[in-house]
Amino acid sequence: MEEVDRILIHSLRQTGTDIDDDVQSIKQFSSELIVEAVVRCLRVIDPTLGNGLSPSLPPGMSARFRVGMSLAQACQDLGYKGESGYQTFLYSNEPEIRSLLMFLVEKLPRESAEALDQPAGKSALLQKAIAAQIKTQLALPWLPPSCRLSLHCKTQSSGPCHSFHAMQLSLPYSLKAPTKKQAKGRCNFVKEYWREYLLPVTSQPSHHASVPASLLENHASELSAAQEWESEWNSQGLLSRLTPEEYCSRKRARLQKRIEEQLRAATQPRPDTHSTTRSTSDLTDLLNSFGGTTTGVDILAKGTRFTHSEKFTFTQEPEKAAQQMAAAASILPSSHQSEEDLKAKQEVEISALQEQLQQLSVQMEEVGGDIRQLTVSIHQVSDELKRRELSNSEKEDTVRVKKQTINLLPDAENNLVKLQSLVEASAKRVVYLASQWEKHRAPLIDEHRRLKELCSNREMESSRKLCEIKDLHDKIRQSAEEAKKKESLYKQLIAEYDTLPKDVSRSAYTMRILEIISNIKKQKEEITKILSDTKELQKEINGLTGKLDRTFAVTDELVFKDAKKDESVRKSYKYLAALHENCTQLIQTIEDTGTIMREIRDLEEQIETEHGKKTVSNLEKILEDYKAIRQENSALAAKIREGQV
Amino acid sequence: MIKLLEKIAPAHCPKLLHRVVDGVCGRSYPRRMEYGESWSLNEWEDLMSSLSQLFRVAVGRKCTDQEVQELLGDLDAACTQAVLQCVHARWEEVRQALVNRTSAISSTQLQDFNWQLKLALSSDKLSSLNTPLLNLSLDVRENGVQRAVNIEMNKEELQTLINTLDAANKVVLQLK
Repeated sequence: MEEVDRILIHSLRQTGTDIDDDVQSIKQFSSELIVEAVVRCLRVIDPTLGNGLSPSLPPGMSARFRVGMSLAQACQDLGYKGESGYQTFLYSNEPEIRSLLMFLVEKLPRESAEALDQPAGKSALLQKAIAAQIKTQLALPWLPPSCRLSLHCKTQSSGPCHSFHAMQLSLPYSLKAPTKKQAKGRCNFVKEYWREYLLPVTSQPSHHASVPASLLENHASELSAAQEWESEWNSQGLLSRLTPEEYCSRKRARLQKRIEEQLRAATQPRPDTHSTTRSTSDLTDLLNSFGGTTTGVDILAKGTRFTHSEKFTFTQEPEKAAQQMAAAASILPSSHQSEEDLKAKQEVEISALQEQLQQLSVQMEEVGGDIRQLTVSIHQVSDELKRRELSNSEKEDTVRVKKQTINLLPDAENNLVKLQSLVEASAKRVVYLASQWEKHRAPLIDEHRRLKELCSNREMESSRKLCEIKDLHDKIRQSAEEAKKKESLYKQLIAEYDTLPKDVSRSAYTMRILEIISNIKKQKEEITKILSDTKELQKEINGLTGKLDRTFAVTDELVFKDAKKDESVRKSYKYLAALHENCTQLIQTIEDTGTIMREIRDLEEQIETEHGKKTVSNLEKILEDYKAIRQENSALAAKIREGQV
Repeated sequence: MIKLLEKIAPAHCPKLLHRVVDGVCGRSYPRRMEYGESWSLNEWEDLMSSLSQLFRVAVGRKCTDQEVQELLGDLDAACTQAVLQCVHARWEEVRQALVNRTSAISSTQLQDFNWQLKLALSSDKLSSLNTPLLNLSLDVRENGVQRAVNIEMNKEELQTLINTLDAANKVVLQLK
């Protein structure tokens, strides 16, 4: 019973009942404790049913009575088969309470314990943590900033003030292993640099605060680059059936071509770039400027792609003007003149130069138009020329054929025969060649077909393998994800396991249960043994009674026959009858004693159970409660009377 | 200008050169305080600018040893050797820095970004709001001037931004 009580008390504690540590068994439960435990259980089992009940007993006797009644009703609603009423709770007896509590604990929903540990409570947990943090911060007194210790700075500062900045880091492993010849020689220098001059990564950024940010940034960029490459390689690289290096170089070439096209397209549509040579020279200028020849940042002026292209296309004109300016300046006499003269002169010069500039630009445009016209006409003329040349060559051919026929005309007959023979011979030859060709062709075609088939087979094979590889990649990714998921689940479960209370040791319980089962088995065996013993005894008794009856009948007959003749025998017959009667009486008495003994035992048991029911104390309690109710009733009646008066 | 390099002992030369390359790659240049007695302020500035110019040119034009030596002029042998070694050792890094500089061709570039995740617990109207907010701060360099752009977004706005960036990334991938 103690075992059962311990389990019951543990379960009741889990439902939120406040049970003192020194309460070890159901026997020690007071009425208040019983009511509280039952109400908590009811609340967990069925909140709508349990929320109407208060877990504490009210002071008034009639209210207590009502509480007991409603609790009993609720238990019966849940399906409790045993006897229950207000007396179960108010005037408790141990076995009844135990059976009721066992029923309730068995009814407790099992999922509730699991649901508590689910991660669904994560956000709730976070909010709880935030609330707790805010509470502690509110509890701290506010201090002016100058009085804060480092301990307060953490909670009373207005959040992290500095922002994070990432910087390029120089790391030994970030350079790929050199493959080219020139780079191989460089490798030694690089190694020396790493060994001798490379600063530790913590002192590379200018601010100490940006070390973690820089490291994380570096790591993230490398990781994303690797991922991007992997996904690209899996999606496109594998399908292209090239080695990674080939794929890279091909891609680079394609990109370069594309960039060049873009730049060319940006520079081309300008009307004043007539020749492609100039735009390509601009391109080289551009590339040179990117190549690092410019010093400062500002010289590589920023702008959109269009402003750049504009700049490159227009640079020549200002240069020209500047040259002219310089030429004009050198012509000027370098004598000292008054400033006004100089100014006037300069203005005149400027206006003259501007005019000149305008003229020149007008001329430029004119010349440009001319050039365009001329290029168009050149194109036309060259087309014409080509056409003429073609027709010329055709005509020459016809002329040659005609000339030969004219030469052959004088000796027509002979020549005709000759020609015919020639034609025949060539026809024969053609036939011969055709047959030869057929001969060669058939095997070649077969060979071709075979190879084609082989090729397609291989293609199919390789595509199949590609598919397999892709599948494998997918699988790998999936398994990796799954593994990650499982890992996190495992961690979570471990954490949950750690948080679970350790006092309930499963193994102890199972051991106990196994022990109990083995005990029960032993008892069962004993019972069957006793039963068989009893049966045997019964059999023996039956046999003996039968034997006795038979013997008695035989003896009775014999003695009765002789009794008629002999007086002494008659006497003995009488004795026999008396003996038999006495013996049956004796047996009857023994049987009666057995039944009475059994009855006595039953009664003793009943007395014990009645003792267990604390009848006396309960009766006293009932008497007291009865008195209390009478007092309450009389008080109420007095009140009513007062009200009536 | 580079001739000024001869003013310090050749043994200290490589260290200074490597710090200059650090500066070229976007970290801090060496401080003049450490070399105060060797050069005057003007000399120091000249030396720094000419050295960084030299590194950029050497890597940007893929100069051979011969060409680098021509660029250096009549610098003494030890210093020349140091410069050559430095150029070789830091080739990849300088190249990367130059590539970055070239790719920053447009008028406005993103230099760096920061983000903070905040949980708004309540507002002046609602006692329990529980809305996560993202504060995104972009460090933007516009025509050479650094400027911070701050954006606060809720979940939907952040999703919109991410979708837009995704679309942009797809376009970039197609270009490749």
